[in-house]
Amino acid sequence: MSDIAIAALLAGTVLVASTISVEIGLSVALIELFLGVVVGNVFHLAVPTWLSFLGSFAGMLLTFQAGAEVDVPQFRREWKASLSIGLVSFFAPFAVVGTLCYFALGWNPRQAEIGGLALSTTSLAVVYAVLVETGLNRELVGKRLMSATFVTDIATVAGLTILFVKPTIWVIPFAIASVALIVGLPKASPWFFGRYGNRVIEPEIKLVFAALFLLMWLGGRANSQAALPAFILGLVMSNHYVKHRQEQERMRVVAFAFLTPFFFLKGGMNVSAGALWANLGILAVLFVAKMVPKFAGVYPLARRYTAPHAIFTTLLMSTGLTFGTITSLYGLNAGIIDRTQFSLLIAVVVLSAIVPTAIAQRFFHPHAETEQEHELAHERPVPPVPAPAQEGVGS
Amino acid sequence: MPFARILVAIDGSEASDHAFGKALELAELTDATLTALAIEGPLPAYAATVGEVEEVKREKDRFFGALAANARSRAEQAGVEIEVELRPGHAAEVISDYAAAGGYDLIVLGHRGHFLRDHLLGSTADRVAEHAPCPVMIVR
Repeated sequence: MSDIAIAALLAGTVLVASTISVEIGLSVALIELFLGVVVGNVFHLAVPTWLSFLGSFAGMLLTFQAGAEVDVPQFRREWKASLSIGLVSFFAPFAVVGTLCYFALGWNPRQAEIGGLALSTTSLAVVYAVLVETGLNRELVGKRLMSATFVTDIATVAGLTILFVKPTIWVIPFAIASVALIVGLPKASPWFFGRYGNRVIEPEIKLVFAALFLLMWLGGRANSQAALPAFILGLVMSNHYVKHRQEQERMRVVAFAFLTPFFFLKGGMNVSAGALWANLGILAVLFVAKMVPKFAGVYPLARRYTAPHAIFTTLLMSTGLTFGTITSLYGLNAGIIDRTQFSLLIAVVVLSAIVPTAIAQRFFHPHAETEQEHELAHERPVPPVPAPAQEGVGS
Repeated sequence: MPFARILVAIDGSEASDHAFGKALELAELTDATLTALAIEGPLPAYAATVGEVEEVKREKDRFFGALAANARSRAEQAGVEIEVELRPGHAAEVISDYAAAGGYDLIVLGHRGHFLRDHLLGSTADRVAEHAPCPVMIVR
């Protein structure tokens, strides 16, 4: 199949994924991932170079955005209580999964590290959505949970950057550029965005893209990975985006419309359905190896810091999606893991997004007061907008 | 039979708009207090980015803010006392539970009809009529 034929097929797939997402209320990323599996396995498509390139950049952009979405002032207030939960949430599954992969599954040390990293993550987005729906995002337990998730995330990106580095002389310019961007971009942004921002040609988005491409290039030359500086760059820019929401929204539009779909499609297309079917037992073992240490490590701390929602907290800290996918794709692209190992890791990552969340919502729903809804109903009039997809009451 | 407390479900559709109009008329006639209840559907499940959740939440907030303002404005024009409430969850279940908890005398809601869904799953109106603790008026 020609490149343009594949592009047309994938563009149609992305469109279908978006409409399904709106209709059934499921994350578009999960549907893109699933449809990627379908397209890849039904049409026996190998991932073309251009898709791999777009997907890699989208992964870096997702990492940057994850950093930019951290509520830094909230983290400063809650970091002490959240640090222990976040670190244990990372290290416990990392150690258990890594050990299992190395000793029981016969993976080599680098493959075991990828396995441990991919399955030690916690999904900030999954946690955030549940907290907003329950109203807990405005309460102490929710704030601690979000901060703990951030700690786990930063441990993951640090592991991804540090564990696989094979230093070359390029580490020096990579480190210098990382520090320069992390220190310089927040300082330069007010001037640059003030002078060149708010235009349809979007110089501010191009500035961020240029910074990320630079980090990716230097990271690659240094035999490292740019996840950590990209995440921290997002983090130091978060304050700027709080003050300039429209800039963040426009970047999201670009990312969601054109980049992240290809990241998740690429992830799905690399999954081998046959390999999953042939290794269902290992899939189950890996899933348990993620969940048990998360529970054993997080639950005792959650009882101390997020009571009476300890089980709810533990279940949400056991979720994973974006960083698990980023880590697995890095391992595959770098030739560290093979397609079967990648398929298993992605399947466990997706299961870990769904299973603990569903259990938390179904059986451990905190039933927090949602005063926001009441307040909302008393807000002043705003211009009418098209109805979001929802279950109608007039049906 | 006089109605002292009327609950009307609103979702911005033409059918619910029509039902809201009838509920206003009824409240005016019987001097009842009126509560307009909107049901907020869930956020995207298993999202990959906070941005996806935030954007949908913001969109919903804007939509329901406009819906509430519109209901309040129409009630004010009709001289009817109104409360507007927003609750998350599944429409039929939330409406029935809210009516029971609030001691309402009547539930008013529209019926817009989805041929396939109604036959497969039953409509929200059907399910409310089945589980409601009080009389239900379905406006077509």
